[in-house]
Amino acid sequence: MSVAGQKYKMGENSSKFQFLRLMGYYRPHLPLLFLSLILVIVINAVVLIKPYIIKHVIDNYIVRDINNSSILWEMGSIYFALVVIGAVFTYAQNYLLTYIGQKIMFNIRNSLFGHIQNMSMSFFDKNSTGRILTRVTNDVEALNDLFSGVLVNIFRDSVMVAGIVFAMALLDVRLMLISISCIPLIVLATVIYRIAARKNFVKMKGMIARINGFLAENIQGMKLVQIFHREKEKYRELEELDREYFRFSFREIILNSFSRPLVDIINNLTIAVLIYFCTGRIIENTLQIGLLYAFITYIKQFFDPISTISEQYTTIQSAVVSSGRIFEILDNAAMQEDIRQGRTLEEVRGEIEFKNVWFAYDNENWILKDLSFKIAPRETVAFVGATGSGKSTIISLLTRFYDIQKGEILLDGVNIKEYKLSSLRRQIAVVLQDVFLFSGDILSNIRLNNGEISEEDIEAAAKYVNAAGFIEQLPGKYSEKVKERGCTFSAGQRQLISFARAVAFKPSILVLDEATANIDTETELVIQSALARITRDRTSIIIAHRLSTIRNAHKIIVIHKGRIREMGTHAGLMEAEGLYSRLYRLQSSRGAL
Amino acid sequence: MKDTASIKGKQLLLAFIKEHIWSYAAGICILLFSSFCAMLIPKILGIITDGLDKRNMEKEQVYKYVLLMLGVIILVFILKYIWRYLLIGNCRTVECYLRDNLFRHLQTLSVDFYSQHKTGDLVAYAINDIQAVRFMFGGGFVQALDGIAISIVSIVFMAKTINPILTIMALAPIPAAAFIMIRTGKLIRERFKKVQEAFANISDKVQENLSGIRVIKAFAQEEAEVENFVNFSRERVDTQMKLTRASAVMGPAAQICFGLSFMFFIAYGSRLVMDSTISLGDYVAFNTYMLTVMGPVMNISKIVETWQRGIASYRRLNEIFRIPPAIEDFPTVADICHIKGRIEIKNLGFSYPQARKRALKDINISLDCGKTLGIIGRTGSGKTTLVNLLLRLFEVGDGHIFIDGNDINKIPVDILRECIGYVPQDNFLFSTTIKNNIEFFKSTHTDDQIQEALRLSAIYENIMELQDGYDTVVGERGATLSGGQKQRVSIARALIKDPSILILDDSLSAVDSKTEEVIISNIREVLKSKTGIIISHRISTVMHADEILYMENGKIAERGTHAQLMEMKGSYFRLYKSQTNQSDTFGEVG
Repeated sequence: MSVAGQKYKMGENSSKFQFLRLMGYYRPHLPLLFLSLILVIVINAVVLIKPYIIKHVIDNYIVRDINNSSILWEMGSIYFALVVIGAVFTYAQNYLLTYIGQKIMFNIRNSLFGHIQNMSMSFFDKNSTGRILTRVTNDVEALNDLFSGVLVNIFRDSVMVAGIVFAMALLDVRLMLISISCIPLIVLATVIYRIAARKNFVKMKGMIARINGFLAENIQGMKLVQIFHREKEKYRELEELDREYFRFSFREIILNSFSRPLVDIINNLTIAVLIYFCTGRIIENTLQIGLLYAFITYIKQFFDPISTISEQYTTIQSAVVSSGRIFEILDNAAMQEDIRQGRTLEEVRGEIEFKNVWFAYDNENWILKDLSFKIAPRETVAFVGATGSGKSTIISLLTRFYDIQKGEILLDGVNIKEYKLSSLRRQIAVVLQDVFLFSGDILSNIRLNNGEISEEDIEAAAKYVNAAGFIEQLPGKYSEKVKERGCTFSAGQRQLISFARAVAFKPSILVLDEATANIDTETELVIQSALARITRDRTSIIIAHRLSTIRNAHKIIVIHKGRIREMGTHAGLMEAEGLYSRLYRLQSSRGAL
Repeated sequence: MKDTASIKGKQLLLAFIKEHIWSYAAGICILLFSSFCAMLIPKILGIITDGLDKRNMEKEQVYKYVLLMLGVIILVFILKYIWRYLLIGNCRTVECYLRDNLFRHLQTLSVDFYSQHKTGDLVAYAINDIQAVRFMFGGGFVQALDGIAISIVSIVFMAKTINPILTIMALAPIPAAAFIMIRTGKLIRERFKKVQEAFANISDKVQENLSGIRVIKAFAQEEAEVENFVNFSRERVDTQMKLTRASAVMGPAAQICFGLSFMFFIAYGSRLVMDSTISLGDYVAFNTYMLTVMGPVMNISKIVETWQRGIASYRRLNEIFRIPPAIEDFPTVADICHIKGRIEIKNLGFSYPQARKRALKDINISLDCGKTLGIIGRTGSGKTTLVNLLLRLFEVGDGHIFIDGNDINKIPVDILRECIGYVPQDNFLFSTTIKNNIEFFKSTHTDDQIQEALRLSAIYENIMELQDGYDTVVGERGATLSGGQKQRVSIARALIKDPSILILDDSLSAVDSKTEEVIISNIREVLKSKTGIIISHRISTVMHADEILYMENGKIAERGTHAQLMEMKGSYFRLYKSQTNQSDTFGEVG
């Protein structure tokens, strides 16, 4: 990572920086944001004017006994008009903010997904599926509240509190001062409540997660528990967990029972104090009674904005945590692959050469040590070796899922690093032991997203690999839906689909990595007969455990602990009386055990 | 345990309510009383206003009313605290109560039930659905009650002590508001569902993409995948905007309805004051009552939703509670407290519930104490079914399976299972210590016994290499151990029981051949004094058994000793041949 990158990393740790960076996402939407702030001011103004109208009615008409029906209706209509304006603006503001928030999330989510798509394989090795999934789904959603609420809400509520104080000051400064004396108390009560509630909530969540885990595990292991007759012990365990959960759950009720009513008390206490102060002045006629009404209403409006402001803090907190995780991926440039740069492969002969290749996943434990071999165009080569000997790694290196540390890998005499990554991978079709099928139908699973492959091509490919037989017997034929990763098909059928997929892409190089290991004998016969045809026209690399399946390869390479131990034809290796021949004999004479 | 397990969900809740009837009754009374008290406050404020307005009240009198108001506020605070403690406290108890009982009920359900229900769904029942019931019982119930109480008290105060005509005028727009709330509430729920679907689609899409990332990269499909994803992402935005269009209506619509009320109040109410029909204090109090009534009306749709969800969840839970327990002792159960292990099976046939094919046909087995039976056959040939029946995981009729000469249905289930040591196919470990996994949550064994069991299962050394020995906590579902190690811990778990009958259900599949041999020879030693059943699809595992059954489509196709079966040159012989050709020998040479 570059020096600049290092600095970036350091800055990333501070949540302040992260918050500012998040705010940066507002930039393209500034005009709309500005508009919504204006709407907010109008909405607040409406809220503040409403009690004033009633005060006006009380002091100027009711107390003075000016019985003028049309003026009263006028006042009522003004009041109603204000309400309508407030309502319409609230709707508009709400809509606007959601729109901005959604747009920002849309962009973040897409760029995050795109970024993940171009990560190298080692990224996927290091991060579990569940973890990456949470980044794209829950963590992005957690930002929603921030973008479509927090900032504007804080603004709205601060303006509201300031507005109330201002309106009060306009009416009567002394009463204003008495009224705002309750603010510190309300703030204190709210903050204490929030902290306690938050703490308790986290603990409650933790307990629910534990109960969740307990249930999941015990439901899966229910058969065992029943067979071993431990129902009572397990029941007691859950009871214990539930009791613990109940403690926090109950504490939540107590906290909630205190918070809002307490604020009510503070509110009413302030009102009482206010009345106490006003009584004398009203009796002395130095204060209008409607003013008291207006103040009481204003005091009641203090609480909500203060409470929401204190709520914003937790939202910001969780948004910053989520954004930290998102940025961690977005800032990870080191693991990005550039699939578009480099030379395009067109006519590939299929000559592969490994020249003194060294490779380790972690730069320490060498998986491949000084590996050199050459595969001629249209040759079939088999790799043999124990689990962990490095056979499969060779294939991952050829497709550049990982880059080697030392040495060179050449395709048609050119280092594979010079080719365009997407172009290189298109030329190499890999068929793995575990076939992955996507949800969709058989057609979409063979052509993937490649629009260049026509339906005729697909049918031809299926015929070519002997997959057409079973596909055409399906009720939907090629449009048969693939459900739940293809679990409705047998392992052999899934493998046939993956062969068809490999062939449909017309690769120059075909790699079979234990492709026939998990297949029933019947399907295996079908595949074997197709294999002869498929491997004839192109360079083929086969990895197999069972030596009987690779006897006919042009060349067999025995890998042992990351090095080439033996190389030659079946007959040659058998004669050499080395590791291969020992393995082969052992496999065919296992019956003596 | 059985009596509560058979109680259905409905009765369960009724039982709970009956048990807590007094706290419910007291809670409801206090709630009503507290609503009434809370409604006194505007009235007191009104009286004060009147006194100040008409100048007919002494300062001291005003202060008295202020003090009275404060007193009422504190009283309401205390009352509120009490009823919340009683009513909402109960609903939290209900949550745990239901979950405990649900789990107890789940414990009695059959293996068949678990094959039909996904774990995630069942966990969701126990967490989410029960919480939904809690919300209905707590928040939903209390809010509805509180809302009704407040509305009625306010309306009565308004109509009786202030003015009925003004009340009718002011409340006229409320039905419209309630109607809008309920209608939009429904719309919002529908649209919210779409939002959740869109979110789930994104989640599925990403999940699939990540699982298949190797294929995507190998076929250079990254860009197409991103294009695809953008569509899902856009769907999420669109559904959210649609939802907002509905949900943003709620507040403003209610405001407008109540705005009308206030307009009538200002225009008509003010005149009533000037006509001296009502006092200024009533006027102010009326204003507060109107604001109070607004709350519950705005909440209507939330309450309706809580109830709908609660009822739906409650129904789902009831469906589970309604499923009868799988195996219970028959009333004819004999007084047996130990099993020696002689097994006899006569003309046994069996088919799983809801399955058309028969899983077992014409099974006849006679197995003496100290003898070992090997069973071999393909997946689906009925091997595991046979074991399931011996463990009474499924019911068979009388007269087919006998243990020590007693019909299996006459033997108490707990005794039967206590005397069988079973090693399952799927080596499932709990996320606790290895020791706990071996003793299986009942520590009645000495360290020597545990070590002996570990040695017999050829895992003693591996475990002792771990930092905390057998006190090491295995990760979730045994994740920190390899498949072979997990299988060996499962074997130790069965051996430590010192059972009369030991059943190994294909439980050496992940163990390499060398260790397999060690374990098999240990087990052969152990089995000299026990009845053994060893299931496998590897012949090397069962070849030493006193009798071997070759099963095919639920029937015993061939039977005999290894030598006899080899002589037959039938399926067993062919299987043996094919296995000796295919075995993976790298482990031994490499």
